[in-house]
Amino acid sequence: MIFTALITYPQAIVLGLLQGVSELFPISSLGHSVILPSLLGWDIHQNDKYFITFLIATHLATALVLLGFFWSDWVRIVKGIGRSLRDRGIDPADADAKLGWLLVVGTIPAGILGLALEHKLRSVFASPQSAAIFLTLNGLLLYGAELLRRRAPQTADDDDVRIARQVSWRDATLIGAAQAIALIPGFSRSGATMGGGLLVGLSHKDAARFAFLLATPIIGAAAALKLPELFGSEGNGVRGPALVGALCSALTAYLAVRFLMRFFETRTLMPFAIYCFCAGLATTVYFAVT
Amino acid sequence: MRTDRLLVVVAVVAGVALIAIGIVYWAEPARSLPGFFPGQQAGSNHHHVKHGIAAFLLGIACLVFAWFRSGPKRAAAT
Repeated sequence: MIFTALITYPQAIVLGLLQGVSELFPISSLGHSVILPSLLGWDIHQNDKYFITFLIATHLATALVLLGFFWSDWVRIVKGIGRSLRDRGIDPADADAKLGWLLVVGTIPAGILGLALEHKLRSVFASPQSAAIFLTLNGLLLYGAELLRRRAPQTADDDDVRIARQVSWRDATLIGAAQAIALIPGFSRSGATMGGGLLVGLSHKDAARFAFLLATPIIGAAAALKLPELFGSEGNGVRGPALVGALCSALTAYLAVRFLMRFFETRTLMPFAIYCFCAGLATTVYFAVT
Repeated sequence: MRTDRLLVVVAVVAGVALIAIGIVYWAEPARSLPGFFPGQQAGSNHHHVKHGIAAFLLGIACLVFAWFRSGPKRAAAT
């Protein structure tokens, strides 16, 4: 009997490293995890159950890294939510409480849209060709966000105070709902939320911070929801590579979030817009001619 | 003031109803769901866990809204 591994360990390492970076960089992790195997000629398809199981492990690792990186912020935010529930109101001076509820308000539409549309969108846009086209559009989306961004006056307040003051409930709902676009391979979740943050007047650094905080519960919940598949029969033959992939993903996710929080202190989304447009266009042409 | 109270009542009723719907989704297979529930399917043993989670979370959101709305006036202004 010939035994063929579903995902080999070298593939798991490459995909894990890629997942950690591309989940947090605004360049679409799902798009890259569809396009790269196809470019390298790997027999891995994004709707294969074992590959979804593999992705659950890498996503969970990314969410845990984000949670760890912003741990002290999350402790303050959860305490703020607790204070507001106790007082039955949000004190305007309590930025942690306001930010916490903004994250809740932003997560609800993303969660509901994700639950409702994930399977359908994943099935319809599963091909590398469509992912390449949407990656090109993601580049245009990032460029558009830079072009249309509102330049609100920035103050020397604490990051969270600035975000809490700048983002309204409506903004949080729209930014949260925009995350659902990432269900289409090629569009980036962090790109959509950072772009949304820029449009409502956040600085690049604050938009990135809000995007990462907003991403943590939704990535974690999506992975946790499918965790039984990893430990059930569908995880057979893929748990080892998934663990290796998750460790690689955790490493690059940590490096990526550290890098991006510094990068956006002075830089913009433009390099990512150019990368997505060029890479998307090049792979679109490549898939069209091969 | 009356509108506020009405909103609170509606939010509490909706919240409790949505949480109950969520529990029904978790407890019953698709074939046993009431006909007006999205996802009802004759002969199916599938449990709509995701539908249940969505209904439950919306229910909690409604109850939180009611909690804030019925709080001291300062809270309503925020």
